[in-house]
Amino acid sequence: MHKPDSHSVNLAAAFGFVLLAGVLVVLPHLLSFSQQEVLVLLVINVLLVCSYRLLTLTGEWSLAHAVIMGVGAYTSALVAKKLSVPVPLAMLAGASMAGFLAFLLSFPLFRMKGFYFLIASFAAGEVIRLSWKWSDLTFLFGGPKGIKRIPSFPDFLSIDFYEPVNYYYLCLIVVTISLLILYRVEKSRIGLTFHAIHWQDKLAESVGVNTFRYRTLAFVFSAFFAGLAGALYAHYVGAIAPNRFSVEEMVYILIWAIVGGTATFYGPIIGVVVLTIVNEIVLRSLGVEEMRPMFYGALLIIAILFLPDGLESLVPKIKRLFGKRDKESNGSLASPQIAE
Amino acid sequence: MTSKFTISRRDFLATTAAVTAMAGVSMPKFAFGADKVVKIGFLAPLTGEVSAWGKPGLDGCKIWADWVNADGGVKIGDEAYKVEFVAYDDEYDPSKARTGAVKLIKEDDVKFVMMLGGDPWPGAAPIADKEEMLFSTLLPSDLSPETELLVAPCEVHPIYNVTGVEWLAENKPELKTAVVCAQDDSLGKPSVATYLAAFEAAGIEVLDEPIFFDPATTDFAPLMSKMLALKPDIICLDTCYADYVHPLVEQAFQQGFKGQMISCTADFYEKLVEKTSKEFMEGFIFQFPDFDDPAMNAEHVNFNKPNDFYNEYVKRYGKGEWSAVSWEYASIMDLWADAAGRAGTTEPVKVLEAMKVGGTGRQAFGEAKWWGKELFGIDNALVGEWPVVAIKDGKAKIQDFKSIPAWWDKHSDLMIKHMKALNQMYYQRG
Repeated sequence: MHKPDSHSVNLAAAFGFVLLAGVLVVLPHLLSFSQQEVLVLLVINVLLVCSYRLLTLTGEWSLAHAVIMGVGAYTSALVAKKLSVPVPLAMLAGASMAGFLAFLLSFPLFRMKGFYFLIASFAAGEVIRLSWKWSDLTFLFGGPKGIKRIPSFPDFLSIDFYEPVNYYYLCLIVVTISLLILYRVEKSRIGLTFHAIHWQDKLAESVGVNTFRYRTLAFVFSAFFAGLAGALYAHYVGAIAPNRFSVEEMVYILIWAIVGGTATFYGPIIGVVVLTIVNEIVLRSLGVEEMRPMFYGALLIIAILFLPDGLESLVPKIKRLFGKRDKESNGSLASPQIAE
Repeated sequence: MTSKFTISRRDFLATTAAVTAMAGVSMPKFAFGADKVVKIGFLAPLTGEVSAWGKPGLDGCKIWADWVNADGGVKIGDEAYKVEFVAYDDEYDPSKARTGAVKLIKEDDVKFVMMLGGDPWPGAAPIADKEEMLFSTLLPSDLSPETELLVAPCEVHPIYNVTGVEWLAENKPELKTAVVCAQDDSLGKPSVATYLAAFEAAGIEVLDEPIFFDPATTDFAPLMSKMLALKPDIICLDTCYADYVHPLVEQAFQQGFKGQMISCTADFYEKLVEKTSKEFMEGFIFQFPDFDDPAMNAEHVNFNKPNDFYNEYVKRYGKGEWSAVSWEYASIMDLWADAAGRAGTTEPVKVLEAMKVGGTGRQAFGEAKWWGKELFGIDNALVGEWPVVAIKDGKAKIQDFKSIPAWWDKHSDLMIKHMKALNQMYYQRG
């Protein structure tokens, strides 16, 4: 059997990345104004769902991730608005606060596993979310109406980040760096330990792995990037409210992850990209505004029925399909030579 | 190296289908015909839990447009324009509202955008400022000194709620105590402040603190038990969404409440009558009439052919679909069309100037004045008379039209006191 040499594989991968980078740079200029707006939010959601996947590597599915995103958004908005801290620093403060809160939450939450962790994370998230609405704290969090007129990302070298294309490039850089970090973490020894805890936590403990510490680490990492996504969102839209980070939003994160698949790094990305395009571009363009939930729901059911391993399971099938075609085309080219 | 390019029939069909789909998505829609058209944006929740205050409004606008277009359109300057509504579902979310505002203004070239308002407005606000577009809201609590291009020309929520309480105090003086509940959000809070002010002005004691429940609540039995334990004469459901009003009323019925109920809305009340009884719903007070009510033909009412509008609405969408907002966006369109006609242009700033000439305007229920500086920091709410509606023998009936400015002149201090206490004054919000 012919095995491709590593040089040609690396070359193909490099070509693929250059092509992808080219597409991502050119993409906003091919879209309409409103599609550019959707693109910005899509890139932010890519970071959100990838950060969520890091937590799922340890086998735990949280229902607090939308709220954790909100912690980043609220902190960044407050630090920038009330303390007049520059927005880029405020964003880092938001992400750090989300990570710190996850660290604190890990003590009660990781006393539980599986279903109990799921429910407890939901309860913890709701406590945080409801505190934003609490009347006595309205002076700080703005109550149910939330915070508006959040400072936007400052102009840099006369680049106006209010413009969606410019903000898209900013998000693209931040998200690309974040994804590279998340990818490196997953492929490192720490990432392998996350996998080990997922599949054989007792065995991992028996060889000296502190599972609590590694679960906490995954939760904190995951929360940091979710908080960063929240900060990017807050300074773009300019307004946040508690309902924006409700369980309904959490359901979207779960749907993106489940439909995309969580077995690979790119699974959730495929999920969020495909479902966002379907929901925000295709269904809206068809003028079925009032029936979008019905179509969206139907698509989800179809995806789950026919692709139980997520959209990511299509990738190897497509690869095999192309591999088969390559073989066939090589064969048809080769046959005259054999005849010779 | 040689290569061979072949394409199968299946590949060809798949590629063609994909290209066609992409073209449909990305290409603008072409309109045929020579009629001049003015486009109006409709940016409101059409799906989700708040859609009951968006979708019926769009349905009403379709009737409005059909009627106006059948009459030759809106006359602006020397030309008649057909009106076309372009809708975008903001899902009651500020980021979707931002995207929708961009699409409506920059791609669909609308000349005016109508919103429900509330949580989505801050997302659209920077776009309104930047593009100098005139927006309308049904929620004057969106107004602030910064929102110069935002008007509340129809509904003056929650201020009109004072009229229901005032009417109760005049007509049922034996009612002395009340309890109040509301969902804990941007609609519930200012509305509770208004009811508290109205009850205080009417000499009705509010038992205990208002109960704020989370919007995610689905089980209303404990909440109603808590309210009934206080033995109130009046249960006030504030400005709860239809999804809350219905289970709350059902719970009050099942738990044997015999007193008075009052609410900002009673959308789809026929279903409430079915779920409870005519006897239970008798005298239920709210603020939104059916437009087949004979009282809507009073001389001071400005809405065009209200009875016919209601009948057409029921014919098209069904009797149970009429709601508080079915007529409101259409009423705003009356005001806009009149102002655009007088301004002779669809240019937003000019239309706004024409709307506010003389400081008064023709609101649906009568002549009204542009008002709101003390409460909202800007006089962009059109305030006048508002109806008080009660359910009688299973049907909504207007009991009276009462003046909001007259109440304000007597009790403004109470309103400001309660708004401040709940952090709802324009300078306290976010």
